Amino acid sequence: MNEQVLLVEDDASIREVTTLGLEQSGFAVTSAGDGREGLIQFRQGRFDLVVLDVMLPSLDGFEVLREIRKDSQAPVVMLTARSDLHDVVVGLELGADDYVTKPFELPELVARMKAVLRRSTAEPEAGVIAADGLEIDPAAFTVRRGSEEIALTATEFRLLLELARRPKQVFTRELLLELVWNYDYLGDSRLVDAAVQRLRGKIEDDPKEPTLIRTVRGVGYKFG
Amino acid sequence: MLRRRLTIAFALAVGVSTVALAAGSYFVVRHNLLKDSVATSAKQAKQNLQIAPRYLPDQPAKLLDVYKGIGGFETVLVAGGQQYAGFGVALRQVPSELRKLVHDGQLGYQRTTVAGTHYLVVGGPSDDEAQLYFFYSEQGLWHELDVLRNILLAGGALLVLLAALAGAVIAREALRPVAQASEAAHSLAEGLLETRLPVEGRDEFGAWAQAFNEMAGALEAKIAALSAAQARERRFTADVAHELRTPLTGLVGEASLLSEHLEQMPPESRRPAELLIADVGRLRKLVEDLMEISRLQAGAESVHAEPVDLASVTAAILRARGWTERVSLDGAETEITTDPRRLERIVANLVGNALEHGGGNGVAVRVGRDGSGAFVEVADRGPGIPPEHLPHLFERFYKADPSRTGRGSGLGLAIAQENALLLGGEIDVRSEPGAGSTFTLRL
Repeated sequence: MNEQVLLVEDDASIREVTTLGLEQSGFAVTSAGDGREGLIQFRQGRFDLVVLDVMLPSLDGFEVLREIRKDSQAPVVMLTARSDLHDVVVGLELGADDYVTKPFELPELVARMKAVLRRSTAEPEAGVIAADGLEIDPAAFTVRRGSEEIALTATEFRLLLELARRPKQVFTRELLLELVWNYDYLGDSRLVDAAVQRLRGKIEDDPKEPTLIRTVRGVGYKFG
Repeated sequence: MLRRRLTIAFALAVGVSTVALAAGSYFVVRHNLLKDSVATSAKQAKQNLQIAPRYLPDQPAKLLDVYKGIGGFETVLVAGGQQYAGFGVALRQVPSELRKLVHDGQLGYQRTTVAGTHYLVVGGPSDDEAQLYFFYSEQGLWHELDVLRNILLAGGALLVLLAALAGAVIAREALRPVAQASEAAHSLAEGLLETRLPVEGRDEFGAWAQAFNEMAGALEAKIAALSAAQARERRFTADVAHELRTPLTGLVGEASLLSEHLEQMPPESRRPAELLIADVGRLRKLVEDLMEISRLQAGAESVHAEPVDLASVTAAILRARGWTERVSLDGAETEITTDPRRLERIVANLVGNALEHGGGNGVAVRVGRDGSGAFVEVADRGPGIPPEHLPHLFERFYKADPSRTGRGSGLGLAIAQENALLLGGEIDVRSEPGAGSTFTLRL
């Protein structure tokens, strides 16, 4: 497989051991020691996934993420300090697909990365879903409104697909965490809420008055 | 109550002096009026007696007429066994002591009441074996005395009332600084440390207020210093934990890489590598617990509550940790609204603790709801905890047996308790040495 991974982490020791671990797990790793360098690397290469530390010199992780999301939907896994709960929310709102808290064990990070990569795998045999002017094509991995293509991250696409496949069905956050993020136990429900917010921002006419993805108070979300 | 006592004392003092003064003046006035009345009447009676011999013994009726002409009194005349009386009076109305006195030839007087009218009766013998009694009405005098008495009574009552009122006002004014001080002390006790008393005047109360303010100032400064020190200490703990995290992240990554290659290692480095991996795990637990407790105590943690079933969350926690073999779970569906991640921290801590200290006899978890709310109960059948340790069990780094170095960080129960408090609940513990311990989380 040898997916191309960009690792942006300022601590040399963590950077080296994480690179080693990811390479041993079959990833091709390019690493950068600060935000600016990371962004330059990202623009020069083609990466299947970015592992991004939040606290970085020169350009912090949020800035890097904001720059990346300007023209790319590449999957991003954030490395955060657990104490900075605020960081998690900000990262997710900026479009991170998942996060791992420091200190982490390598298998933990690898599991998260694989779950994110699985989301961006197309489903060749699935048919096109049309709903409310939206056209979701799982095989081509695209969403269109009319002739206009809407750019979604893999997480956003998978979330929309799971919801739209069973319109009117109410999905709990736990179920969505399992279906989209592959968490089978106590995932962070903020992952769902942040992704829904971003998805609404892209597909709803008025994200404040959503008509496609509706909130079911105290339970979860439903499509249509 | 001091104020009421002061008021009563004031009213009483004024009342007693008013009564003494009024009674004194009343009796002096009465005494003088009565004395004057006697003197006037006696003088008049003597004149009457001097006239009497001109008409007696032959013309007693004429004498009565003459007396009537003088006026101002009624007369009773006893002469030659005969009785002559003026309007409304008679001999039987003359007190017997006076009659005896006059009979013995002496001049005398006595007071009596005839048909509701007060009289001063002056009696005396005439030359001709006759006795004369003159009734002087004292009705006016007694009426005046009644009026005087009523005026004095009303005035006295009014004075006592005024005195009570004045006493109340004065007591309140005098005690106002005391009331203020007690109010200020209350608000200090409630934590309003900036409370001060107004310093009015240079009297004892002024000095007292000054001293009170100095005390409050010292208290405020002391508490500010203490909480600043506490905040610094917490900040330091948080900083230390935070700074440890970067090298720890490296260590954890390195250890997890090492653990994948233990088989390829030569025997002499394999055992040290295993120990290293285990110790990194311990260090990780300690640092993570330290970060969590410092966040909890800094109040930096938030709660994400949602409706959950206590029983199925507990079952999932046991499953996720691979504890289902050693831990029994009993309990029906119990719906509550709480933060499942915090719940996990608490239950995992309690069960982990029970497994470590429970002596390998198995752990029983019970979930349910009783009169005081939902609960999760974790019971072990280990050696139990001596009673003297129970109150300290939830303190940071508290170890019931100092010689035992457990695998835990020493923070587990403190973290569990802080999380429970954050969820609006509490953990309590019961233990019987030899029979085991039971920790109960109530939500």
